[in-house]
Amino acid sequence: MRGHAFLVAGYVPGNSPVHRLPLGVKALLLLAVAVLCLASPLVSVRAGAVVTSATLVVVAASHFVAGLTWPRIWRAVRMMLIFLVLIAAYQWWQYGPLVAWQVIAAIVATVLASNILTATTPVDQLLDGLAALVQPLARFGADPERFSLTVALMLRSIPFVIGAFADVRDAARARGLERNLLARSLPVVIATVGYARATGEALAARGLGDPDDDVE
Amino acid sequence: MNASARNSIVMVGAGVSIPPSDPRSTHDKGILAPLTLTLAEQRIAVIGANGSGKSTLLRLINGLVLPSTGTVHVNGRNTRTQATAVRRSVGFVFTDPLSQLVMPTPQEDLELSLRRQKLGKKERAEKAAAILADYGLGHLAQSSIFELSGGERQLTALATVLAVAPDILVLDEPSTLLDLRNTKQLMDRLDILPQQIVMSTHDLTLAATFDRVLVIDNGDVAYDGDPQEAIARYRMLVGA
Repeated sequence: MRGHAFLVAGYVPGNSPVHRLPLGVKALLLLAVAVLCLASPLVSVRAGAVVTSATLVVVAASHFVAGLTWPRIWRAVRMMLIFLVLIAAYQWWQYGPLVAWQVIAAIVATVLASNILTATTPVDQLLDGLAALVQPLARFGADPERFSLTVALMLRSIPFVIGAFADVRDAARARGLERNLLARSLPVVIATVGYARATGEALAARGLGDPDDDVE
Repeated sequence: MNASARNSIVMVGAGVSIPPSDPRSTHDKGILAPLTLTLAEQRIAVIGANGSGKSTLLRLINGLVLPSTGTVHVNGRNTRTQATAVRRSVGFVFTDPLSQLVMPTPQEDLELSLRRQKLGKKERAEKAAAILADYGLGHLAQSSIFELSGGERQLTALATVLAVAPDILVLDEPSTLLDLRNTKQLMDRLDILPQQIVMSTHDLTLAATFDRVLVIDNGDVAYDGDPQEAIARYRMLVGA
């Protein structure tokens, strides 16, 4: 089963001002984007649309400051295009065009801001950040390292599942079964379960996630 | 990694069986017959047909598979009761490196391996980069693992395993997915390692260069000893 040479959280090496910002600052800015987009409509619909539009412009501009390209932005938006269209249609129908625009702009701004965070921060740093974030929960039995590893594995798994879909689609086409939903979905499920088992075995083989109890 | 002399893998009546797939049957299905072996040589090859039990035998060594009967000890540690310690002293390389590399890029996967060493972030990153450079993979450090060739992936997998300096290296058909050049590159790397190596392979020319060869047939050891004799026995078994 092939994978795709596409990383959801693909880090783009660089030395831009955004790259140089500490992870904590980037995370706070991401939070600020989300809060602005969610809270501004509470003042008024017009205020929400204006603030969210301005936020979207700033976030889009930040992409270029970070040295990221149009294809990178488009790829992030394309992945959720169908959902954006459906949400926009519903919002327009229920609340009118201004609300529809505000909701869509809020989603796009937040996703693009997340895109900047992951593109300008190596996964290793993200893992350390996540581990630090969960650290206070360690006293209640949480394992910060395991939590960050889980997130990393999730990021690694998404390209595999996308690749599995592509492979199964091609195989179904080759057998003239492209309209057969079962032929296009069941092998993906089987491959994904197999992948999960293989990943678990690989982690166990490397002693990652094991407790240290029996190590002298 | 002061490997060779003190390393030993000791199996005493170590067999593997699984519950029957037919619920009406009361007998477990044998995967590996109870084996009593001491593996102390520096380079040991395991050959046999597909499905003969080679991988199960290798997985017994690092505790990925636990014996249904008997015991397995690695350097005096029981794989059942001291699994973590055993896994940390036995590096395992899989046939398909994509099963092994769990992070998005070689650099990140190396750093994941090095997390166990409790290094600082900067030191960990520098060490990972240095290891990759040593393997001639420095220019691919930030590439997606899906962009690497089969040989580059297998070398990366080997690097991630050796980064934590295991005492013993177990390789499950590591050259099956590689072309001739990549196989040679991998073997050149293995040749200079101080670790004890236990490797399953279908490459009989390669097996002939090992110190000891085990022939596995139908879940049991059909021959154990001299490489040339082992290969002749294996050829006879498969009628080749």
